[in-house]
Amino acid sequence: MNEIALEGYLGIGALLFVCGVLCMATKRNGIGVLMGVELVLNGANVNFVAFSKFGTLGLDGQIASMFVIVLAAAEAAVALAIALNFYNNHLTIDVDRANELKG
Amino acid sequence: MTVQQIIDGLINGDLPRAIEIFAPELILCAAIVLLLLVRMIFGVQRIPACWVALLGTLVAFTGVFAQFMYLKTDLSITGVADTPVEELAARLASAYHLTPEGVGSVGGFFTDLLMHDQFTLFFRLGLLLFVVLVIALTVLTGIPDNDDGPDFYTLLLGSTVGMMLAVGANNLLMIFLGIEMMSVPSYAMVGFLKGRRQSSEAALKYVVYGAGAAGVMLYGLSLIAGILGTLSLPELAGHFVTVMHGETFGPTNAAAVTLVLGIMMVLVGFAFKLSLVPFHFWCPDAFEGAAAEVGGFLSVASKAASFALLVRFLLAFSGPEEVLHGLRVFLGIGLAVIACLSMTLGNLAAYTQTNVKRLLAYSTIAHAGYMLMAVSALLIITDAPATEGWTRSQIFYQSARAVEGLMYYLAVYLFMNLVAFSVVAILRNETYSEEIDSYNGLVHQNPATKLLCLAMLMAMFSLVGLPPFGGFFAKLQIFTSVLYAADLHWSMWVLLAVAGANTVFSLVYYLRVLKAMFINPEPEERRAIQTPALVGTYIALIALPIFLLGASPLQSDLTDTANYVARTLFR
Repeated sequence: MNEIALEGYLGIGALLFVCGVLCMATKRNGIGVLMGVELVLNGANVNFVAFSKFGTLGLDGQIASMFVIVLAAAEAAVALAIALNFYNNHLTIDVDRANELKG
Repeated sequence: MTVQQIIDGLINGDLPRAIEIFAPELILCAAIVLLLLVRMIFGVQRIPACWVALLGTLVAFTGVFAQFMYLKTDLSITGVADTPVEELAARLASAYHLTPEGVGSVGGFFTDLLMHDQFTLFFRLGLLLFVVLVIALTVLTGIPDNDDGPDFYTLLLGSTVGMMLAVGANNLLMIFLGIEMMSVPSYAMVGFLKGRRQSSEAALKYVVYGAGAAGVMLYGLSLIAGILGTLSLPELAGHFVTVMHGETFGPTNAAAVTLVLGIMMVLVGFAFKLSLVPFHFWCPDAFEGAAAEVGGFLSVASKAASFALLVRFLLAFSGPEEVLHGLRVFLGIGLAVIACLSMTLGNLAAYTQTNVKRLLAYSTIAHAGYMLMAVSALLIITDAPATEGWTRSQIFYQSARAVEGLMYYLAVYLFMNLVAFSVVAILRNETYSEEIDSYNGLVHQNPATKLLCLAMLMAMFSLVGLPPFGGFFAKLQIFTSVLYAADLHWSMWVLLAVAGANTVFSLVYYLRVLKAMFINPEPEERRAIQTPALVGTYIALIALPIFLLGASPLQSDLTDTANYVARTLFR
C-alpha cells in the first residue's frame, strides 16, 4: 500500500475548511450554518493530526485535536439550544429572518 | 514529550505549585458546584444564588489580591510589611499559605500550559473585581430573578474562569480553550431573557458569528503549529527563525506566507472577540438584545481578557532577528489599519443611534480601536533594530509604556463602561425604555435621578477623554506611545491623526445623550422614578473611581503599578 504524504492530509483539511466556510456563508438555515462550523473545526483537526504524524509536533497535535472535539460538542449543544429558542420565538430558523435588530 | 514524562513531571514538583497558583480559579469552580447543589438541597428561596456567587468571587478576589501583593511588595523575600495595605496582604498571604517556591516564583505552571507572572495577576485581579461589581449590580437590578439565578451565575462564573485561563495562556491550545471557554457561556447569557424575540435573535447572531470566527481561528492555530512544529508560545519565535534558514521576510518565502496567513486567521478570532471592524456586526445586535448587565459584562471583561491574550500572543514573536522584526512591522501596520477603521466606523455609526445600548455598543467598537493603537505601537517599538537610532534602554522603556497605557486604559474603561451600563439598567427598571428620548429632562425630577445623570456625565466625559477624568490620562498615554512609535515608522502619524480626529468627533454623540438628560424639557406625563438609596450608593461608589483615577494620587498609584507590571513583561 502506498504511503500518503503530508500534502494529501493537508489537502483534505483545506478542502474541509473551504467547504465549511462556503457552507457558513451561503446556508440560510441556522442548523446548516452550524454544520459548516463543524466542518471548519474538523478541517483544523485533520491538520493537527497530520502535523503530529509528519512534523515535530508529536503528541501535542493529537491532544489538541481531542480537546477540539470535546469543545465542538459543547459549542454545538449551546448553539442548538439557542437555535431552538429562536425557533420558539420566531417559528423559523432562517438566519435571514433574524433582522429585527438593526441600525 | 511522552505521556509518561508529562505524568512524572506533574507528580514530581509542578502540581503543588500549580494548585497554589490556581487556587482562585478552583474557588470559582467550587462556587459553581455549590450554586447547583444549593438549589437542589435548600431551594432558591432560602439561599438566593446571588449571595453564593458573590461570596465565591469575593474569596477568589482576595486570593488573587494576596498573590499580586505577594509578588509586588517582595513579601516573599523580606516578609516585612510597611503600610496597612501590605499588612493586609501579608495576613491574606499567610491565610492562603503562599510560599516563595509557589506563588513567589514567576514562570509557567501545569507543564507550561499556563503562565504565572505579574501581567497575568494584574488582569486576573481586574477581572475578579469587575465580576464582583457586576454581581452586585445584578443583585440591585433584579436580573436574573430568583428562579433563574443559579443558571445565570453559573454561566457568569464559568465565563470568568475561561477569561482567567485565557489571560494566562502560554500555549496555542490554551489560547483556543480560553477563548472558547469565555465565549460559550456568554452566548447563552446574551439569550438569557428566553421569551423575548430580540434576545433570542441577538443570541443566534452572536453564536453564529462566534462559532464561525472560532473555527477560522482554530484553523489558523493549526497552520502556525504545523509550520513551526510547536504549540508552546515561548518557542514560536525561535522556531520561526530556524524555519526561515536565514532568508529575508517577504511575500516570496513560503514559510513566511503560511505563518502570516495563520496569524491573520488567529487575528480574525481576536477581532471578533474585541468587536473590531470588519468583525463587529454581532456587537450592536447582541448588546441591544441582551440585558444591559450582560452587555456591560461582555463589553469590559471579555475585551480585557482578549487584549491580554492578544499582547501575549504577539509578544511571542519578539526577538532581535531581522525576520521577526519584519513580521512585527507587518502585523503592527495591519493592526493600525484595523484600529483606524474601528474608530472611524464605530464613531460614525454611533452618531445616528436612538437606542442607548446600541450607542454604547458602537462606542465599545471605537474604544477597542483606541486600545488596539497601543498594541500596534508596541509591535513597532519592541525589539526595534539598532539601525533606527534608539538605545536598548529606550526601547525597553517605551515598550513597557505602551503596555502600561493599554492596562491603564482598560482599568479606567472598566469603571466608565460599568457606570454607563448600570445607569441604563437602572433606568430601564423604572422607565421600561432604553431610548435616548426616554431620558429627556431626567435631571429635573428628583435627587436620585440627579445622581444618575451626574454619574452618566462623568462616564461619558471620561469616554470622550476630557480632563480631569481617568479617560483623559488613559488616552494621553496611548497617544504618547503612538507618537514615539511614529519615530520608527511613518504610518503611526496617520494612526495618530485619525485617532485625534475621532476623539473630537466622538464628543458629538455622547453629548446627545447628556443633552437629553440635562437640557431637553421633561415630558408632561411621566411616572415618578424611585431609586432606592442602595442603588444610589452603588452608582456613586463605581462612578467615583472615574474621577479619582484622573485627579487624585490614585492616578499615579495605578500608573506605577501598571508600569511595574509592564516592565516585568520585557525582563
